[in-house]
Amino acid sequence: MPLSRSPSPIPGGGWPSHDLDHPDHSTKDNRTSPASRWSPASNSPGFVPWESAAIRKTEGKGYPSFSTQNRSFFQKHMRRISSSLPRFNHNRHTPHFGKEKPGRGPWSVLYKLPMVGRIRAGWSRRSRRTRSFLFFLFIILASLYIFYHSPMAYHWRRSASFGGGEKFVIVLGANVEGGVMEWKGAREWAIERDSIRNKKRYVARWGYDLEIVDMRTKKRYAHEWRQSWEKVDHIRKTLRKYPKAEWVWWLDLNTLVMEPSYSLQTHIFDNLADKVYRDINEYNPLNLTHPFTEAYLDSEARSPVGDGKEESINLLLTQDCMGLNLGSFFVRRSAWSDRLLDMWWDPVAYEQKHMQWNRKEQDALEQMYSSQPWIRQHTAFLPQRMINSFPPGACGESGDDPRFHYQREDRDFVINTAGCEVGRDCWGEIYHYRELSYYLNRSLWERFKEDLVAVIWFKLTGKKVKL
Amino acid sequence: MHFAYPSRKSSNPPPFRPRQSRIPIPTLRKGRLKSIAVIATIIIGSFWIISKLFDSRDAPLFRRPSGNPPVVLVTVLDERKHGMGHSQSIRENREQYAKRHGYETMFVHAGDYELEETAGSWARTPAMRHALTNFPECRYVWFLDQDAYIMEPAKSLEERLLEPDLLGKIMRRDISVVPNSIIKTFSHLKGGDIELVLTQDFEGLSTGSLVVRNGEWAKFFLETWFDPLYRSYKFRKAEEHALEHMVQWHPTILSKLAVVPQRTINSYIKGNEEEGFQEGDFVVRAAGCGREGAPSCEEQLSKYRATWQQAFSQA
Repeated sequence: MPLSRSPSPIPGGGWPSHDLDHPDHSTKDNRTSPASRWSPASNSPGFVPWESAAIRKTEGKGYPSFSTQNRSFFQKHMRRISSSLPRFNHNRHTPHFGKEKPGRGPWSVLYKLPMVGRIRAGWSRRSRRTRSFLFFLFIILASLYIFYHSPMAYHWRRSASFGGGEKFVIVLGANVEGGVMEWKGAREWAIERDSIRNKKRYVARWGYDLEIVDMRTKKRYAHEWRQSWEKVDHIRKTLRKYPKAEWVWWLDLNTLVMEPSYSLQTHIFDNLADKVYRDINEYNPLNLTHPFTEAYLDSEARSPVGDGKEESINLLLTQDCMGLNLGSFFVRRSAWSDRLLDMWWDPVAYEQKHMQWNRKEQDALEQMYSSQPWIRQHTAFLPQRMINSFPPGACGESGDDPRFHYQREDRDFVINTAGCEVGRDCWGEIYHYRELSYYLNRSLWERFKEDLVAVIWFKLTGKKVKL
Repeated sequence: MHFAYPSRKSSNPPPFRPRQSRIPIPTLRKGRLKSIAVIATIIIGSFWIISKLFDSRDAPLFRRPSGNPPVVLVTVLDERKHGMGHSQSIRENREQYAKRHGYETMFVHAGDYELEETAGSWARTPAMRHALTNFPECRYVWFLDQDAYIMEPAKSLEERLLEPDLLGKIMRRDISVVPNSIIKTFSHLKGGDIELVLTQDFEGLSTGSLVVRNGEWAKFFLETWFDPLYRSYKFRKAEEHALEHMVQWHPTILSKLAVVPQRTINSYIKGNEEEGFQEGDFVVRAAGCGREGAPSCEEQLSKYRATWQQAFSQA
């Protein structure tokens, strides 16, 4: 038979069958999709799926073979629902045409299970009160699941009105020096992989965003005047890319979130004013004179805490034993931050100071902090261990200074193995803390297995087991 | 014209089915469904309203100054260099103009600020910052150098320059911010965006007469301008070149800057049509007076002294 046009896909999927001169379509079927073949909408004359034939058989005559009264919803509609569901034909060559045999349908299995039958019977025996109680219990459990465990939880936590997670973006400086200044070895790759995975899990849990930026030495920064000052540019780009973000959290690659169960909101931002200190005299390793005393400045600029309001905090960072530390810090989206990010790199300052500024942005920020009142008024400090704990080896070999060093009992939030590339083992430290984090955050079941069963087993048999 | 095959009809139409409720769950009758919908709407709506009420994102962070006084005139005087008489006449000139329009004046002395052996002209930067401290409610700070007289008292500074519409009209857009620079003033700015108004002379930006609007930006700008690293860099023209550097490298400053025609607030005693003083101009300046080899400011400005005194007494 000639065709008026070339065949095209039909909306339900598959291709229209064009060999109309063959009356038996079930034998010569060019369709590729099983969906259209078994669709109940298919109403070609030669093609009668067994369930519609069955409906005709039972209802068309007007003598239903079973009662339609006093039946529950599922009993009434099971047939219709089940027949509209897609299914897979396991036995293509012998389709069940013709008479329906009882107990052959795909759902009949369900009725045969004794358990299901018992539950159904039990449900209908319950009183109305018990039923409604069970119903509400079910609703509560379902909402608990939806709010806390289902994939929807991610979206609740992101949305501005529930969790507010979309207000936070983590910027992770990855690929440091990747392949330009020195080769990345297996250890560097492993650190990168672990660090990125750690942050990815963290943001997935709380609905934040993660921006992984490339810190490779680029030609545009390789100019003598601007080596590795990408941080500022990356933060600016991130603020542009995530217009809903309020806080950008910069993290160096050598960091790990040790406690993924802490959200930034509860850990820091819900009552920010209580967590920060704005008077640098509280801990002042740089020995800066604070506050300013110049007579031409106003009282706010001369006050040690600025205006003291939570809203005026736009830069949130920590101090280590050397001064400001930019391994982990927060910048809030504001006009002030635009100015800071704009002024941070200035060619005149750089030209005079770049020989002394070997910590780059950090030194430049220190310079600005020490000379500019407008910077100080909007900067606040967090105690270092809130977002930036150090391992032993950074700021003292013993690692027991509670100001800087990771304390396991306190379950510090983030570890930053700062300076590990100088004579320390970066990968070893990252691995150690990764495993420690897993260990500390074991689930109840894991604790039961490892702390109880395995211990008892060890006592009984003298063998260590891994469960 | 051929059309696609019509869809094939079944010759066995499906039989009528018994009527059933459209709502699948029997306990949800139509009436109940309605009330459930209403209650759900109310609950969701109240959630939404509460979440909006506690949303503090749009709260204004910084208050607007009330505008009392509207403008503060700042001048740095150097009696030792320019003589008592000259300083006195400058003082009178400013005070009379300020009195007429309800402005305030602020005079500081060149030695008032610690400048660490840098050029004395840097004093204007902390002086303006000082004015913001002393008059926290002022709307503008106008720095006018001590080599200038206000010649026309009748109109206020707002009427001449600062009304946003007027400023939007007279500001020069898309011109090189410093002669021959590739950095040009923005062309999309409106009068209301502007925080800093100044003029350009034939050499570059002129800091002899400039207006800053009080606010967070002004403090940022003035404190940055007075940065010790800028001062120690030894720009040839000290604070003027530092400012030129800033506007060319930092868009947060360039985007708040308006360059206006020079004779609006900064006519020079000599110069071509664009910069030379003409009858009826607002301000006259003897730029560069009192430098080594140049006649003193008092001498250069002497012929204007009688003119402004006359103009002020008449009006």
